[in-house]
Amino acid sequence: MASQLREVLNRFGDQSAPVSLNHMARDMQIAPGVLDGMIAYWVRKGKLREVGNTGDNCNTCGVKSGCPFIIAMPRYYELVRDDDADTIPPCGCGGSCGV
Amino acid sequence: MAVQSLKIALAGNPNVGKSTIFNALTGSRQHVGNWPGKTVEKKEGRLHIDGQDLVVVDLPGTYSLTAYSAEEIISRDFIINEQPGAVVAVVDAANLERNLYLVTQLLELEVPVILALNMTDIARGRGLTIDAGKLSKRLNGAPVIETVGNSGIGVDALKAAIQKLAEPAGIDTVKIAYDDALEREIVPLTEAIQAIPELTAQYRPRWLAIKLLEDDSDITERLGEYTALLESAEAAAERIENTTGEDAETLITDGRYGFINAIVSGALTRPREALETTSDKIDRVLTHRYYGVPIFLLLMWVVFQFTANVSAPFLDWVDGLIGGPITTWAGSLLGVVGLGGTWVEALLIDGVIAGVGGVLVFVPVLMSLYLAIGVLEDSGYMARAAFVMDRVMRAMGLHGKSFLPMLVGFGCTVPAVYATRTLENEDDRKLTGFLVTFMSCGARLPVYVVIGAAFFGASSGNLIFGMYLLGIAVALLTGWALKRTVYRNKPPQPFVMELPPYRAPRLRDVWRQTWERTSSFVRKAGTIILASSIVIWLLMAIPINGNGSFNDVAPEDSVFGTVAEVASPVFAPAGFGEWQASGSLITGFVAKEVIIGTMSQIYVGAADEAETTESTPTLLEDLSGIGTSFIEASILTVQEVVNIVPRTVNILPGINMAEANFLGTGGEEDDTTSLEAALTQVFTPLTALAFTVFVLLYTPCMVTVAAMRHEFGTRFMLYQIAYTFIIAWLAATVVYQIGTLIGWGG
Repeated sequence: MASQLREVLNRFGDQSAPVSLNHMARDMQIAPGVLDGMIAYWVRKGKLREVGNTGDNCNTCGVKSGCPFIIAMPRYYELVRDDDADTIPPCGCGGSCGV
Repeated sequence: MAVQSLKIALAGNPNVGKSTIFNALTGSRQHVGNWPGKTVEKKEGRLHIDGQDLVVVDLPGTYSLTAYSAEEIISRDFIINEQPGAVVAVVDAANLERNLYLVTQLLELEVPVILALNMTDIARGRGLTIDAGKLSKRLNGAPVIETVGNSGIGVDALKAAIQKLAEPAGIDTVKIAYDDALEREIVPLTEAIQAIPELTAQYRPRWLAIKLLEDDSDITERLGEYTALLESAEAAAERIENTTGEDAETLITDGRYGFINAIVSGALTRPREALETTSDKIDRVLTHRYYGVPIFLLLMWVVFQFTANVSAPFLDWVDGLIGGPITTWAGSLLGVVGLGGTWVEALLIDGVIAGVGGVLVFVPVLMSLYLAIGVLEDSGYMARAAFVMDRVMRAMGLHGKSFLPMLVGFGCTVPAVYATRTLENEDDRKLTGFLVTFMSCGARLPVYVVIGAAFFGASSGNLIFGMYLLGIAVALLTGWALKRTVYRNKPPQPFVMELPPYRAPRLRDVWRQTWERTSSFVRKAGTIILASSIVIWLLMAIPINGNGSFNDVAPEDSVFGTVAEVASPVFAPAGFGEWQASGSLITGFVAKEVIIGTMSQIYVGAADEAETTESTPTLLEDLSGIGTSFIEASILTVQEVVNIVPRTVNILPGINMAEANFLGTGGEEDDTTSLEAALTQVFTPLTALAFTVFVLLYTPCMVTVAAMRHEFGTRFMLYQIAYTFIIAWLAATVVYQIGTLIGWGG
C-alpha cells in the first residue's frame, strides 16, 4: 500500500483539474496542516514546486516601493516533471538582472 | 566550582506563541544574542522555581529537526550537545497534528518532553476538543499542559511540570515504531553505532541510525571518518528501497505521520462542520465547474458597470473644473504677468492643461475600477479567478496559471510581463507574455469611457465589459493558435492552491490599495504624460509645409499633423483614416493614457476655437460653482452606487426594478465632457467602436515593450509588436467593414 506521503504526490499527478489544499485534505481525510507539512516535505525533496508571486522586483516604471498592480496571490504547488529541471530560470531574464 | 544551572529548552513551530510562553516563564530575566557563528537570534532567560535556578533557552522556530535550515541544525545541536533537562514543546492546539511532527523528532532524541498546548482558546473557538489526559497517556506520561500564553493561563502548571521533570528521576520516552522493513535495518544499525563509544557518548544510537537512513547531509558529513558505518547505512537504505519501492526518508517521515495519527486518534475531536468551512461551502458555488465562469463574468460585469456609472458624476465634475475654472484662472494669471496671447499661454492651456488635464479627468474612473478590484481581492475572490478560469484555459491547451499574469495585466501590462516568471517552462512564459498584452490595462480604460459615454450612453458599462471580454477572447485564441504551432510543448499540469478564506473586505486595506494604484496613475500624468503633452504641442506648433509660423499653424500643416497624415491611410479600411486618429494612436505608444491627452489637445482645442466666447465668471462664481457641482456629483455618485442593484437585477428577463433618482432629474441634462462632445463631431458610433477595438489590441506601450525585450529578447519583442498591430488592424477593420455592410452605426 502506498504511504500517505506518496499518496499526496500521486494525487498531484492524477488530478485533471486544480484543487484547493482544503479540498485535497478533506478528500484524504487528513488535517489541512498535515497536508501542508507533507507538501513541504515533497517541496524539499524537489518533487513539488511552490509557486508564489513574482514581478515585485519589476522596477521598469520607476516605482521604487513595489508595484501596486501586483495582485497578492496565494501559494500554489505543482508537480516537478523530470524534464523540468533545466527549464527553470532564476528569473525570466536569463541572469542579466542579477537575480 | 559553581554549579551549572539546569537547562530547559523551548521548541516549537514558527508563530505558535513560543515567545509569549518564554516571556511568561522568564519575565524580565532575559538575554538576547546570536547563536555562535550564526545570525539566528538566541534568547536565554532564567526561571526560579522553589529556589531552583533554571536556564530557559528559546530555540528557533522550526517545523522539524532535519538538516534543511540553519534553525533546524541549531535546535537539534543544542539538544544533542547541551542535553537539556527537558524540552517544552509549544504547540498550536488549533493545528495540533502539524505541530506534533516536531514533537515526534524531539521524542526520537530521547529527551524528556513537556507538551504546552498553546492557543487552546482558539482551538476551542473552532470547536476542537483535546483530551490532554489521553494525549499524555499516549506519550508515555509526558506532561500535557493547556496554555493560553497571552493571558498567562496554564503557565503555573507548566512551571510545576518543568520542576518535576527537571528532577533527575528521568523519564521513559516514547519510541516510535516504524514499518517492519525499516525496523529490520534500524535495529542492526543502532547496534553497530552502540559499538562505537565515541558516537554513543554524543548521540542517541537509535536517533543516529534513523538520521543515517534518512541520509541527513549534516550528520553524514560529521561522521565522514566512520566509513564502514556510512557504507552500512547506505546499503541498508538501498535494501529498504528495494524491498518497499520507497526511499527510507519518505518511509520514516510517513511513519512519523502515522504515529501522530495514532496518538491524536480519540484524543482530538473535530466538529463535523470543521471538515467543511464556510469558505468551502461558498467555494462549492463560486468555483463550481459549470457556474464558476458565469459567476466570474457576472462579477466582472458588475465591476465595469460600477466603474462606468459610479465614476461618471465625478468625471464630469473634474472635467468641468479643469476645462472651466482652472483653464480660466491659468489664462488670467498669464494675462496678469503679461504672457496672455503668447505661445506660453498656448503651451500651458492647449498643451499642458488640455493634455495632462484630459488624462486627469479619468482619475475618478480609475479609482472606481481599483476600488472594485480591491474589494474582490480583499474578499479572497480574486485568488479564485485562476482556479475558475482553469477550465477555459485548459480547453484552449493553456495553463490555468497563465491567468494569474493575465489578471495582473488588467492593472498594468508591465508587472504582468514579469509575472510570467511564475511559469517554469520558457515556452509557456513566452506564450503567456504574448497573451498578457491583450488584457486591457487601466491606461486604456479612459478611451473606452470617453467613447462609451459619447456614443453608447447608458450602455457604456457594457462597452467596457465587452472590451475586456474581447481582450480575453483574443488572448485565448492567440494562445490556442500558438500552442498548436509555435509553442508545442507539454500539456498543462494541474496545480494545488491554498485558497484564502473568504472575509468581509477591510476598508483600510482596500482604500490603501486603491490609493496606491490611483496615485501611480496621477504620478504618470505628472511625468510621462506631461512630457508627451509638451512634445506633442511643440510638434503641433511647428509648421512643416511653409504654411504658417510657430504657434500659428493649422494642425494638419504642423510636423505632428503631417507625420500623422502619412500614417493615416493605413487606418482608412478600419474607418478612422483621419490624421487626428492616427496621430493619437502613434502617441499611444508612449503610454496608452497619452491617446486621450492627444485627443484632448487635437479635438477639444479645435472645438474650443469654433465656440463662441461666453462671459467670464467671477472668482466667487467659480468657487460657488465648484462647491455646488461637487455636492451634486457626490449625491449622484451615491445614487449610482444604489442603482447597481436594480441594474444588475434587471439583467434577468421580465424584471424591471426602478432606479433611484435623488435629484429628480429626467436625464436630459448635458453631462458630456468636452472631449466626448468633440468626438461626436468626428466619429460615428461604428468608427468609434472600431477605434476602441484597435486601442484595446494594438502594440503595447514602450515600457511594456522594454519589459518584453528584457524578459524574452529582441526577436520576441519585434514579433510581439508586429503581431499585436496586425491583430488590432484586422479586428478593427472587420468591425468597421461588417458594421458598414449591415448598415449599423454609420
